[in-house]
Amino acid sequence: MTKDILFYALSALAIWSGWRVFRVDSMIRATFALMVSFIAVGGIALLMSADYIGVATVFMMAVEMMVMGLFMVMFMMNPAGLNPMQMVHQYRFSIGAGIAAFVGLTVAILTTPLPDNPLPPGGDTLRDLGFELLGNSMLIFETAGVTLLATMVGAVVLSSASGRFGSAGQGSVPPGLTAGGPPAGRTAEDGKGHGGHAGHGMSMQKKPAMQAHDDHGKGH
Amino acid sequence: MGMTWITRLAAGARVPVFIAMGDGAPAAALTLSRHPGLSVVDTPRAASILLVAGQMPDALIPYLHRLHDQLPHPRATLLWQSPPIPSLPDAIAVDADDDIGRAVADVFAAVLEGKRASAPDILPDAPPSEWRGVGPHGQGGKGMMGGTPYGRPMAMTDDDIRDRLALDSYTAAFGPFLPFFPPGLVLTLTLQGDVIQKVVVTHPPFDHDGSPLATLLNLLGLPALATRSLGDRADDPVLRRLIQLSGARFAIPSGLGRLPDGSDVRTRFDRMTGAAPDAASQDAGDTTLEHLLVGLEWHAAMLVLCSLDPATLRDICKNSDTGDQDETQGESESEMHAGHMS
Amino acid sequence: MTLLTVLGMLVFLCTSVWLAVALDTACRGWISGQGADRADGPLRTAALWLTQQRLTTEAPDRMNALLSIAGYMALALTGLALVPLGPDTALIALPTSVVLWGACEALVVVVVFLHGWSPNAPLAMIGAYRYVAIGLPIMLLSMFVLIAAALPAQSLDLRDIVTSQADVWNLIRQPLGLPLFLLLGLSLTLRGPFDYADSADLAGGTSVEASGPDRLGWQIARLAMLTEFSAMAATVFLGGYLGPVLPGPLWIALKTLLVMTLVIGLSHLAARMPVSRMMSLIWMILLPLSFADLIWAGLVAL
Repeated sequence: MTKDILFYALSALAIWSGWRVFRVDSMIRATFALMVSFIAVGGIALLMSADYIGVATVFMMAVEMMVMGLFMVMFMMNPAGLNPMQMVHQYRFSIGAGIAAFVGLTVAILTTPLPDNPLPPGGDTLRDLGFELLGNSMLIFETAGVTLLATMVGAVVLSSASGRFGSAGQGSVPPGLTAGGPPAGRTAEDGKGHGGHAGHGMSMQKKPAMQAHDDHGKGH
Repeated sequence: MGMTWITRLAAGARVPVFIAMGDGAPAAALTLSRHPGLSVVDTPRAASILLVAGQMPDALIPYLHRLHDQLPHPRATLLWQSPPIPSLPDAIAVDADDDIGRAVADVFAAVLEGKRASAPDILPDAPPSEWRGVGPHGQGGKGMMGGTPYGRPMAMTDDDIRDRLALDSYTAAFGPFLPFFPPGLVLTLTLQGDVIQKVVVTHPPFDHDGSPLATLLNLLGLPALATRSLGDRADDPVLRRLIQLSGARFAIPSGLGRLPDGSDVRTRFDRMTGAAPDAASQDAGDTTLEHLLVGLEWHAAMLVLCSLDPATLRDICKNSDTGDQDETQGESESEMHAGHMS
Repeated sequence: MTLLTVLGMLVFLCTSVWLAVALDTACRGWISGQGADRADGPLRTAALWLTQQRLTTEAPDRMNALLSIAGYMALALTGLALVPLGPDTALIALPTSVVLWGACEALVVVVVFLHGWSPNAPLAMIGAYRYVAIGLPIMLLSMFVLIAAALPAQSLDLRDIVTSQADVWNLIRQPLGLPLFLLLGLSLTLRGPFDYADSADLAGGTSVEASGPDRLGWQIARLAMLTEFSAMAATVFLGGYLGPVLPGPLWIALKTLLVMTLVIGLSHLAARMPVSRMMSLIWMILLPLSFADLIWAGLVAL
C-alpha cells in the first residue's frame, strides 16, 4: 500500500518535473528539473528492488546534470535566470517528434509481454545484477574499465600539468616563431598586457564564467 | 516596540560591523577584529553596523550609498573620525578619543531595542528600469547574448587570453569596500570565468598602510592567524610556527606576481612573516597592474594585489590604465556597475 | 522504536552542531590568541540573524535559493540516516547504502552551485563555479577510497562494512583511506583548505549576498553536513558502533565527535591554495594516492 502511494507520488514528480523542463525560462532550472525527474525515476527503481540501478541513477544524474548545466551556461552566454529565455524551438517538428515518440513507446509497452514473476524474498539483487551484467565477460569489462579510466586520467594530466604549450606553471601560451618572439597563432583582440603574463602561475583548468549578473545594490 | 525574547538574546551577540575604510582611517580600524565585543564581517549583508572610518572622498560617496543600503534592517551607521556626510544625516559621529567598542555596542543596543530607528534606504528600492524580455520568446539583449538590455550588461563571448577558447567575458567594478582590497582602490575588471582579462584603475588606493600580512593570511583561509598577526607582540614565535605549519608558503605558487626587483608573492610573504630579511623597499619600476594581474585567476590575483606594499601599489596604479581613454566602457554602464562592493 | 531512534538522532545532531560551533570558536580563540569566546555567543548571533531582514538581490532565483539551503540540510539528514547504529539498526537500511551516500555527496555539489547561482551576483557565481571545479575531482577521489573500504566487506552495505571491521579497523587496514577521506569532508562542508565556495577572497563567496535567516539556515546546514560526514567517516574507517563496554550508539557518537574535531582542527590550521594549484595537487598526487589505496586494499583482501 505504502509502496503504491510512493510509486504514484514519484511517478507524478517525474512527469511534472519532466514537463517543467520545457516550461521554465532558465537553462539552470531546466537542467535541474530534468535531474529531479531522473531522481524520481531512480526512486521508482528503488521501490522495485532494483537498489543498485536506482541509486546509481541518482548518483550519475547528479554529476551529469551538474556538468551539463555548467557547459550550457559556459557556451550560451544568456543562460537566463535574469533574462528569461524560451527553452523550446522548432515547435512543429518537436510536437510531431513528441507525439510519435509517445505513441511508439506506448505501443511498445502495451504489446510487449512483460514478465510477471515476483522476486523471491531475500534474494540478493545486487549479486544477480552483477552476474547478469558481467557474467562471463568480467575480465573484458574490468580491462575496458581500467583502460577508460587510465585514458581519462591521462587526458586530464596531459591537459593540466603540461599543456599543449609547456608547463601550466609557465602559462599555456604557444612558443614564438622566432626565439623570444611573440607567441604564434592568433592574438587577443587587444594585446594589452599580453607579454607580461608568462610565468605568472597560469593555470590550466578552464572555468566557465559568470554571466548575467546585475547590480544588486538596490534590489531588495 | 517591545523586546521579544529573541531580540533580547540577539542584543547580547557580538556586534557584526562592516568597516568602510576612508582616507586617513584610524590605525585602530585595522585591529578592530581583535575587539572582544565586535565581529568584523566580510559582507555588509551580515552586518548590523556600518562603520565609516576616516574621510570618504566625494568620488566614493555613491559607492557608500550603495553599501549602506545593503545592510539588513535593523542597521545604523557610525562615522569614525570622519567629517559629516550630508546624505547620511542619521549617522553617529565618533571621535578619536571615544571608545569605539563602547560606541558601537550602544548604538547596536539602541537599534535592536527600537529606541533608535533603523536607518532608511538612501537609494530608491526599485530596479533602475523595468525588467522585461524582448521579442516573442521574452529573451533580452541583442539576440541571445551580449548587449546591455535595460542597463544590465550581459556576458558576451570573447577569446580567452590563455588558450583562445571563446567563452563569456564580463566587466564590472570591484571595490572600494571589498574587505581584502587595499582601502580606496576600485578596479574595473573584465573577467572570463574568474580569469582577469583586463584591468582598469577606476579609483587609486589611499595613502594608507593597511595590514598586508593579515589580509594575505585571510585570503589563504587562515582568519584566526590573521587576527593573531594583528596582535601587539612584534615577534610572536607561535604565530611564526603556526604559519609554517599551515603550509601557507607552499600554498602560494612560486613566481606569482614577480616585480622588477625579482620578488614574487612568496618572497614578499616571507618578508612579512619574518622568515626572510626585510628588503629596503619594493621597486615597482614601470610595472602596471595589467602586467601583474591579467591572465591570473581571482584567488591568485587577489594574493598578488595584497602582497604589494601600499607605496608600491600606488606607484603601480599610477603606471596603469586609469580608464580615461576607455571608450568601450559606456558611462551609464560603469555607473550601473559601480556597486559591486561585495 | 524507529521513532525513538529518529528522536535520538535529532538530539545528537543538535548537540553536535552546538559542539561544532563551540569547537570552532575555541579553535579560533586559541589560534588568534584571544582566548575563548562566551559560551552563548553563537546562539546569540543566531538569534540576531533571525531578527535581521532578509535581503534579496535584483532578479534572484528565489526558488533555487531556498531549495539550495533546504537541499543541503536534507542531504545531511539523509546521510545521517544511513549510518548504522547497531548490527541491524539503520534508519535507511539498504544493501547499497554506500552508493546512496555517494549520490548524496554528488548532490552536495549541485546544491552548493545553486546557492551561488541563485543570488545573481558575480562573487557568489565565481564561488559556485570554483566549487564545482574542485568538488568533482575530489568526489572522484573519495569514490576510490570508499570502494577500497567496501572491498574487505565484499558488500556495498554500510552495516557489512562496519561488521568487517570487527577485528581491525579500516583506519589501520587502509592507512591512506581516512586522510584522503577527510579532504572530502573539508570540501563537503566548505571548510578551510577546501573552502572554494564560501571563501574570504570572495568576501563570503556563495553566501556573500545571504542575510538574516538565509545566512542562519546555510550555516546550520553546513554544520549538519559536518556532523553527517564525521559520522560516515567514523562508520567507514573507525569501526562505527563497534566498541567494548559502552553501547553501540554511544560509540558512534564519540567517534563522530573525534572525527569532527580533526576536521575542525584541519580547517583552522591548513592554508588554502589557489584553485589551479589545488587542481594539480588533486589530479597528480591525491588521485594516484587513492589508486594506491585501492590497490593496497585489494592486495590485503586477497
